[in-house]
Amino acid sequence: MKVSKLVLSFILSISLFTQILSAQVVSTGAILGRHSIMDSSKEKLVQIIARQDVAKRFQELGVDSKAIEARVASMTDEEASKIALQIDMLPAGADAGASVLGTIVFIFLVLLFTDIIGVTKVFSFTKSINN
Amino acid sequence: MPKSPLPLNNNYSSYKIDVPFVAPRSKLCASTSIEMVSSYWQSMTPYVPRLSLLELDERTLIPAKGGTLQIELMAAARANGLLVYPIEPTFDALFAELSERHPVIVLVNRSFSWYPLWHYAPITGYDAKAQTILTHFGDEPNEAVPIATFGELWKRSDNWGVALLPPGRLPASVSAKVFLRAAYDFEKTGMTNEAIIAYETALSRWPDYVPLLFALGNAYYNSHRISKAEEVYRYILLIDSKYPYALNNLADLLFHTQRSEEALKLLDRVITDDVEIQTLIKNTRKEIKAKKI
Repeated sequence: MKVSKLVLSFILSISLFTQILSAQVVSTGAILGRHSIMDSSKEKLVQIIARQDVAKRFQELGVDSKAIEARVASMTDEEASKIALQIDMLPAGADAGASVLGTIVFIFLVLLFTDIIGVTKVFSFTKSINN
Repeated sequence: MPKSPLPLNNNYSSYKIDVPFVAPRSKLCASTSIEMVSSYWQSMTPYVPRLSLLELDERTLIPAKGGTLQIELMAAARANGLLVYPIEPTFDALFAELSERHPVIVLVNRSFSWYPLWHYAPITGYDAKAQTILTHFGDEPNEAVPIATFGELWKRSDNWGVALLPPGRLPASVSAKVFLRAAYDFEKTGMTNEAIIAYETALSRWPDYVPLLFALGNAYYNSHRISKAEEVYRYILLIDSKYPYALNNLADLLFHTQRSEEALKLLDRVITDDVEIQTLIKNTRKEIKAKKI
């Protein structure tokens, strides 16, 4: 265990070291305060892992595997990280149709009422009274 | 009955934007909303969408969630060639975009937090007399929703909304920094041409905003338009002769175009206490000296 950690830190220090030795152009992201002036290998590694996490989670959630690559590729680093961390908490906009939970009449009646007084818009057949 | 969310004595006038209507399909409101706004811009400007409706569907739906995440709506719209500008979460910002005929896609919760029904829809106008928001919300085009009801639904997403714009157009309620970030998002996802058009367009409003010029110079440099990049970096140094990042990047450019002497002289002009910048300049100088021809 100790050895592997040692090896890992050695590899990491080499990669960071070589990064510092090579000159580079300052990216626009650096001045927008999104990452340090010199892109560190560590940041890049974190990114790769975040994108892999997103791809895996998408697969579990039934996203068509052909589309996953394009979807993950179209995200910026910040977007991919945010999804990787919060995918289970983020809201997902769905549709405008009525989606009544058939068995729960109570919810139906409450929402029907709130639709009518105009604080919700669940059913397409209701017209709120302040309309 | 909910109260109107608009400030008393507001002078918002009526607008109706001619956004083509696409009938709703279950769980695909994000994709449908992008499609409607994209075809609006296609009918108004030279903008051409990059993705078909089917491709938009494939890029937005998460089957197990039965809907689309905000980030993916933004990523898909950008992949379709539109700049995604998140508006300030206020009615002022919403009406500012509407007044310039920019449709805004909003996220609303049609129900309560204990039984959320999230939904995206483009806002297509406002009727000041009837106090209704016009929106392609569901089955009928330009459905009139009382402003009070809309205020309740929109509040539940913390008034989340995005204006999707062709890269040659600026949002109405614009912050230079927010716009620059939105334009740079194009570049980060490999759409450098769109980014360049957006930067160039923004220069018409902020001709001397250095971060914007720097972004444009970098975008030219990254796409190998060397003389354009050089021109922009030099212009930055006319505005701020000590701007270290432009000095560094121009030095790099000069070095790669066989002008190492001038490059080193530029680096001598950097004066800073910032350790990170000092290291950067030191490395650039070292590389130039090592490979000097």
